[in-house]
Amino acid sequence: MNKDLRKKIARMVYNGKDGHMPSAFSIVDIIEVLYRNYLRYDPQNPRWQERDYFILSKGHGCLALYVILEKYGFITEQDIDRFCRPGGILGEHPDCTKVPGVEASTGSLGHGLPFALGIALGLRLREMQNRVYVLVGDGECHEGTVWEAANVANNLQLGNICVIVDWNGSAAQLMPRDDLPAKWRAFGWETTVINGHSEAELHRALGNVTFQSHGTPAAIIARTVKGKGVPMIEGHGVWHHKIPNEEEYRQIMESLS
Amino acid sequence: MSEKSIRQQFADTMLAVGEEDPDLVVLVGDISHFILQPFAKACPGRYYNIGICEPAIISMSAGLAKMGFYPAAHTIAPFLIERAFEQIKLDFCYQKLGGNLVTVGSVFDYANLGCTHHCYDDFALLKSLPGTQITYPASPVEFDILFRQAYRNSSLTLYRIPGNQHGQDFDAEDIRLGKGIKITDGSNLTIVATGPQLRNAMAAYNMLGDTGWDAEILYIHTIRPLDTGIICESVSKTGRVLVIEEHMQSGGLGDDVLRATRDIPGIEFSSLAIPDVFVTGYGSYEHHCEELGLTTQGILDRVNADFSGTHFRE
Repeated sequence: MNKDLRKKIARMVYNGKDGHMPSAFSIVDIIEVLYRNYLRYDPQNPRWQERDYFILSKGHGCLALYVILEKYGFITEQDIDRFCRPGGILGEHPDCTKVPGVEASTGSLGHGLPFALGIALGLRLREMQNRVYVLVGDGECHEGTVWEAANVANNLQLGNICVIVDWNGSAAQLMPRDDLPAKWRAFGWETTVINGHSEAELHRALGNVTFQSHGTPAAIIARTVKGKGVPMIEGHGVWHHKIPNEEEYRQIMESLS
Repeated sequence: MSEKSIRQQFADTMLAVGEEDPDLVVLVGDISHFILQPFAKACPGRYYNIGICEPAIISMSAGLAKMGFYPAAHTIAPFLIERAFEQIKLDFCYQKLGGNLVTVGSVFDYANLGCTHHCYDDFALLKSLPGTQITYPASPVEFDILFRQAYRNSSLTLYRIPGNQHGQDFDAEDIRLGKGIKITDGSNLTIVATGPQLRNAMAAYNMLGDTGWDAEILYIHTIRPLDTGIICESVSKTGRVLVIEEHMQSGGLGDDVLRATRDIPGIEFSSLAIPDVFVTGYGSYEHHCEELGLTTQGILDRVNADFSGTHFRE
């Protein structure tokens, strides 16, 4: 578990007085493994033609992406310190026209996957081998456009795309019949269910994706815990968009020590 | 008048441009599938009949634009513009990606299909998004030329294809994106017409002349960016302007003409448009126009009702 990254996220929320901390904590381990071991990129040239594409479709989880973009050299510590400040480039949803390394401006749910399909189709037309990863939320899977895109990707056999679903239980708060793996399989995706906080299981699933230009698209359903790492904020309570006060912040940082 | 439909011209232009430009990709929602087969055959891998999922088509088109392609997304107007509006807003405009939306079923062309298949708010909707271009080619040559002028630029561009044409022939060099066309010279009345309604303006011209009105008729095929120069120059001379358009009054061309000309001393303004109601009746396109006063007689009535007769004093 990435305690230091979580601490940095908590500090950004505390100082910036805004942000979705639990949503970031459920995905930060996934994004860290992707950037450390799987994605090809050049932080000095974020638009490098040979890069792989990572699209954070659940834009409100962007704090996890920001700390990793800083860790791997796309943005600076000063950028991090200016989160949600006038003149800064980092807001509560990622803006691809401002932040190096961000591929799509997301926030309204259900946009990232169909947008990524266009990228994947474009790569296939250009006969390029770049890979496309999209991280969507399980709550986001309530959006119809996710399933429009799931249907289209299967029909176009866009095998160069891999969806990772952050299955943190948000969806089941509203729709308890939470059969996500069956749904993705029914839409024709090669579907794997893993523990999204286990590095070994992430490697097993991500390492198995074959990324064929024509082939079955891959879905990795990652079981996660919203707020993972800090018992006080874990689960689906008030902490979704809550800003810690001084004492709560001290407790959060202590939990992560 | 050309016998070819503008929709057929769309298919012909896709073929011609697609053969020259390997980056043109056409995505449709099961509309115009058969007439686009020549493009599909000539440009393998660049034609997709995606399915009945317009928001996904728009988002995918934006993804293709990110990869350096020039997408043309095409289906019936309300599904492409109204249903997929947030995709247009966020995936194209907010991310500063250019692309092309080609709609058929303009206004109430699908006259008997009810409001589900009508779309007369598209100017207003797209004007609300920064950086968009809005064209309304009401003859085949206009579509061909405007598409070629706009499809590769960095804006999102709407091409609103009507089922009816205005019947005027223009020289190709007179058709320029963002430029109006002066059809007649006049002295005491400006008529600004867009779309097929230019036909009614032309029919009204002589009848207006019989009652002392010397009308300057301006034709507008580009709603945005609007050629306010040609409009203001004319209205500064005539002092009166009537706008005729197949769009809701709210957010239509009339609003922009009024804003552009408001500082001209003594200006008189009138507009013929669709009132802010649903068009729920049945019949033909012509029947709907008749009901709404979008006719030659409607122009004569509006001119006589709304404009002072100062010209008779001369």
